[in-house]
Order: sequence, then C-alpha cells, then structure tokens
Amino acid sequence: MQKLKDQLKEIIVRDLKLQGIEPAGIEDDAPLFEEGLGLDSLDAVELVVLVQKHFGVQIEDMDEGQAAFKSINTLAEFIDARR
Amino acid sequence: MGKVKRTPLYLLEALGHNIFYLFLLLFGQGGAYLLLKPVIATYLLFSRKIHRNSACYLKRRFPDHGPARLWLDTYRLVHSFGQVLVDRGWLGLRRKAQLRGELIGGERLLELVAEGKGLVLLTAHVGNWQTALAHIRGLEVPINSLMHYEEEAVAKHYFDLRDGTAPFRIIKSDGFMGGMIESTAALGRGEVVTIMGDRYAGGPWAEVEFLGGKARLPSAAYSLAAATGAPVAILLAAKTGRRSYTIKVWDDFYPATGARHDRQRDLGRWADRFAKSLEGYVRQNPYQWYNFFDLWSQ
Repeated sequence: MQKLKDQLKEIIVRDLKLQGIEPAGIEDDAPLFEEGLGLDSLDAVELVVLVQKHFGVQIEDMDEGQAAFKSINTLAEFIDARR
Repeated sequence: MGKVKRTPLYLLEALGHNIFYLFLLLFGQGGAYLLLKPVIATYLLFSRKIHRNSACYLKRRFPDHGPARLWLDTYRLVHSFGQVLVDRGWLGLRRKAQLRGELIGGERLLELVAEGKGLVLLTAHVGNWQTALAHIRGLEVPINSLMHYEEEAVAKHYFDLRDGTAPFRIIKSDGFMGGMIESTAALGRGEVVTIMGDRYAGGPWAEVEFLGGKARLPSAAYSLAAATGAPVAILLAAKTGRRSYTIKVWDDFYPATGARHDRQRDLGRWADRFAKSLEGYVRQNPYQWYNFFDLWSQ
C-alpha cells in the first residue's frame, strides 16, 4: 500500500504540474483539496482522468469522488479496493 | 427540500401559470401568444426590476438606443422569452404538437461523437434549449446535461409534461466539485455532456471580451474537455417562426491547457471563442438571448 501511495504522490506532483512541492513532502493524511495540497475543481477532473489512466479505475460519481479525494490515504484505499 | 411558502406573490404566479395552461388547452399556441402581449405590457409597466435586469445586456447590444427604444427592446426580449415558455407548455400539453427543427452542422456533431472521446456540447440560454436537446437524440450516444437546481427543475417540469422521459440524464452542478466527476466519467464512456457556457454561478471562470466589455464566463467546460481529450462544440438554438427553429453548430475545437500557471490564460482563450460565437448569435438574434444578469459587473 505504501508503494501505491508514493506512486500517487509522484503522479499528482508531476501530472498536475505542482510547483515547489516534493512528492515526499505530501503527508498521507493531508487533505488534497483547498487548505491541504491546494487542489481545485479543475484538478479534480484531471485527477479522475489520471486515476483511470494509470490504474484503470473509474471514479463514477461525486459520492465516490468525495470519499476518495479526501487524502492520499483514502485515494490509495479506493484504488486498491477496485483494481 | 423545504416546503414552498405560499405567499400572495407565489399564489398570483401560480394563478398566472394556470390561466396560460387554460388558454393553451382552449385556444392552442396562438391563443396563448395573444394573451402574452397584454400580460407582458402590463408587467413591463409595473416592474422596474425587469427593465433594470434586461438593461445590462440590451444597453450593450443597442448602445445607440434611447429610453423609449430600450423600453421596446425590453418588451421584445421578454415577449420572445414568453413565447418560448408558451411553446414549452404547448408541447407538453398537446401530445401532437410539434415544432419543426433544422439542425445546421449535424454531420460535424456525428463526426465528433464518432471519435469516441466524448463531446462537450456548449450551449446558452437562447431559443428553446430543451427542445434543442430533444432534437439531438439522433446522436446515438447517451446525453448528459450538467445543470444547477433551477434549470434542472425547469427541465424536469418540461419533460414531465411532455412524455415523462427526458432525452438526457441530469448531472447536478451543485454537488461535490460541481458535477465535474460525473461529467468526466460520462466523457470517458464516449457520451455527450451539455453545459451552459453563458452563466457564471461559481467555480472556475474566465474574463472575456463580450459586447464591448469584460464579462465573466464559466470555464470548467474547457478544463473538462482539455483533461479528457474531448472536443467542444458550440450549439445554439433560435426560434425562426411560430412553429420552427434552427439549431446551429457555431464552432468546434479541442481545448488544451499548458503549464499550471498559464491555465487561467489558456481557459480564457477558449472561453473567448465561446464568447465570439455567442456575440455572433446575439447580433443575428438580439431578442433571443435570455440573459437577465449583469455578466459585466460580476
């Protein structure tokens, strides 16, 4: 599971083009959106596409998204349960 | 959902709707159109708010019109909107009622859908957009419509009246991330997602040049298309006669965004393209853009 979390951090920093943030510096339980990593609704769209592209897992609706996008921990658990 | 408060204004409005429905049943579309004229004239005589709300757009569309002509412009705008509402009621109440629609650029829509990347169909508060959506059933892929609560209520009302089956699935824009997750999933399945491009109601936005001023338009649609690789087509409907309308594909493109810090600028470029199409539309159909908001002061 830790490998998946590290992979997610790298994908988020690289593909969402986050500047000044190191993958290793992202806390597993820090919020991804707003006050945490600072992602917004435009990033949410890209994140849905990235999860599909890299892990073959489709996030279908806002209930799934809201639960999965809380933190690296929740996103990794979501992907792990569905692939 | 909270219980509706039955204020005198609410009851008066309900009575007005019922009178229109009665006219539609007894005298058809033509009868309701006739009733529309005195009702709107009276409304315009007593409501200062409608003049204020219409003026934001009309003064920009007709900068050389004085107060008297602007009053007439407001009448024509509200009257045209009233006709669209009557048409909706008429189509809903009379099972055999039909409007003749002409789709200009339909082949291009088919080509874009055939690419299998999904399609973001940008539209606006023009013409009778519910009828227009019903007209594009022929695309042979499911159609989703991203809309906020008010539009959703109107759409449901219209299709409940019609035959109980909407030609599209509604994605609520007032949920988590503004419905972007469901929209992304739909595009991923190669489906069509329709979005109103002319009303900013929260979320990401872009400032564009529109009718001689800077206006704020929503930009999530372009981000959605850029992230998923889906094309965007701009589709606007216009009423051309009592029982006829056209739906035209004004433009289509593949939005792309570059570096993160340039994202706002990139999205603005695509929103600007939509604004150009809409401006072309209002030049041709000045009384069919039902905008009663001041986009230029948001």
